[in-house]
Amino acid sequence: MLKQTLKIGALAAALCATALPAGAQQLSGVTDTEIHIAAWSPQTGPAAPWGAVARGTAMLFQMVNDAGGINGRKIVFHSFDDQYNPAKTVAGIKELVEKEPGIFGVASGVGTSSGLAVKDYLMERGIPWVGPAAGSLHWITPPQKALFAMYPLYADEAKLLTRYLVEKEGKKKIAIFYASDEYGENGHRGAVAEMEKLGIKPVAEVPVNQADRDLKSHLLKLKESGADAVLMWVNPTHAVITLKTAAALQFAPQWAVSSTLSDAALMNNISGGLWKNILFASFGELPDANTPEVKKYRDAFSKYAQQGERWGVFFMAGIGFVEPMVEGLKRAGRNLTRENFIKAMETIKDFKGIMGRVSYGPNERQGQREIFLARTDDSGVKVTQLTPWTTVK
Amino acid sequence: MDWLVTFLQVVFSGLAAGSVYALIALAMVIIYRTTEVLNFAQGDMAMLCANVGLAFLVTGALPFPLAVAAALAFAALLGACAEFFFLRRAKEPTVLSLIIITLGLEMIVFGFASWKWGGEPRDFPIPLSPADVLVVGGVIMGHLELATIGIAGLIIAALFFFLARSKAGLAMRSTQQNRAAARLMGIRVRRVEMGAWSLAAMIGCIAGLLVGPAATVEPYMMWDPMMKGFAAAVLGGITSLPGAALGGAIIGIVENLFGFYVSTAFKSVVPFAVILLMLAIKPSGLLARHYVKKV
Repeated sequence: MLKQTLKIGALAAALCATALPAGAQQLSGVTDTEIHIAAWSPQTGPAAPWGAVARGTAMLFQMVNDAGGINGRKIVFHSFDDQYNPAKTVAGIKELVEKEPGIFGVASGVGTSSGLAVKDYLMERGIPWVGPAAGSLHWITPPQKALFAMYPLYADEAKLLTRYLVEKEGKKKIAIFYASDEYGENGHRGAVAEMEKLGIKPVAEVPVNQADRDLKSHLLKLKESGADAVLMWVNPTHAVITLKTAAALQFAPQWAVSSTLSDAALMNNISGGLWKNILFASFGELPDANTPEVKKYRDAFSKYAQQGERWGVFFMAGIGFVEPMVEGLKRAGRNLTRENFIKAMETIKDFKGIMGRVSYGPNERQGQREIFLARTDDSGVKVTQLTPWTTVK
Repeated sequence: MDWLVTFLQVVFSGLAAGSVYALIALAMVIIYRTTEVLNFAQGDMAMLCANVGLAFLVTGALPFPLAVAAALAFAALLGACAEFFFLRRAKEPTVLSLIIITLGLEMIVFGFASWKWGGEPRDFPIPLSPADVLVVGGVIMGHLELATIGIAGLIIAALFFFLARSKAGLAMRSTQQNRAAARLMGIRVRRVEMGAWSLAAMIGCIAGLLVGPAATVEPYMMWDPMMKGFAAAVLGGITSLPGAALGGAIIGIVENLFGFYVSTAFKSVVPFAVILLMLAIKPSGLLARHYVKKV
């Protein structure tokens, strides 16, 4: 009897818990003086180097606030650590959305799987989300009214890298090493598609699990395939283990890696100086570039950044992915609603910050399509840009 | 004979990985043999020790051998403190509650390391380059891998003789089998338990110091080796030292063979499949002597 009562009680409690948020009025995340914006990122865990993205965004918002805010409002930035774990992303976002004062929108947010875990939740509520820090096709297939993608597609960088390896470097035996998640799969599929166009087949396609620390069998497979070039979509720790394991197996192909591994200074540091002669895709200006925008933020960095922070690619990405959002908020005016904001975002054309050019429109939700290729030299740190900004067709 | 060279290469690589699992397994077995506690903090204690070693090496600018010695000393202290401040404080504990205490300890250690050194991976510089190799009959053996196998082998041999032949080893076994009787026989059981924790932490520390240079040092670095090490301990029969060593080697090799010849995507589940199979066929493990006790 008691058991039954408990069961019914638990059931009722569960029902209430799911029914409440739907019944309650949705929070706007905007007050007279504040705009509340959320972001998740891995500050710890195997993908922690990508966590600098959220810290870059925080600096951008701080700069905006110090310059007087946007149309009389200051931005309140709710940034939380999800450890690259989608379950934690969901919990964190739900809490922010459903608790006073709610959030107006999401700025960036690192990781394809993490983003996918909250995409439907955000879109069902019409909560604007600008610049997911992951180059997945999922953001734009199909296009979502409130989702403005920035990060050039992994599939596009895969095409550009593959074409460069084949046409400029004369490589014919190309292998693909990719994380067995959405991020890796996007790159993998793009590379395979491009190779098909070029009339070749990958000599090996090797997936790797996020949790693995021993990659010897993976590298042996790549080596056995006789690959003279290996395309990589893996996390930074795996990239380091890959280079170390490859060195111990006397395997030295041309490595060609995703823009997620484009922070040469970081990668060379954590790989103990093995980041030599690596071909990579880049979605943003190089950290030592001298464009006026890069200079502006680099100068601000010395004033705003916390001790121990580094002016690197991912920190810059956190600025670049969110610049269009700031622009959209400005254009939306004082009467800030989600509807107005989305309309304002759609008016952005050829916007140039520290990324490639960005354009949105009523039917355009992939803002940036431009990328370029670069290569580290024998020092592992010095980077040379190989191609101009290129749009992959 | 190319296929044979390839096969031996995979086995060698598996043995190198398995050596680390064997060390973790040994550490868990030593604590289990003495106190019947499964120490789930073993991996993260090793991670902490590797971090401390790195701090001595880089921040403290100690020469490599001294940094290793300092890390080992820290490990001994860490193990003793864990036993003294956490395990011993439990009032009339059941085995389960002690295991839960080790889970809590794991969280504290993990949280501390993340707070102190951050979540980003860092390089562990050692006097060996990853490109230093020895080639025997076509099989390429990295110096670091050879060192890993050699060190693990030495420790296993030393431990085996120490625990099988010495009074301390006997005291540890007596403590596990019947704590009250051991105490009545004049064995200072608490000291024995503390010693077991120290010894285990030092062995874990060596595992951490071998994993760090092969990859990176970061809070999560020991999660995968820890799970595999636990699997190895169970495979070997949780109370048997040679069993743990053998279990580690088997898991490392089987996992690499599976990864190379079948699928890298499902490589991580192999150790657990092996355990399931083992539990179904021979629940006491490969080398453990099965005995019934404690009513």
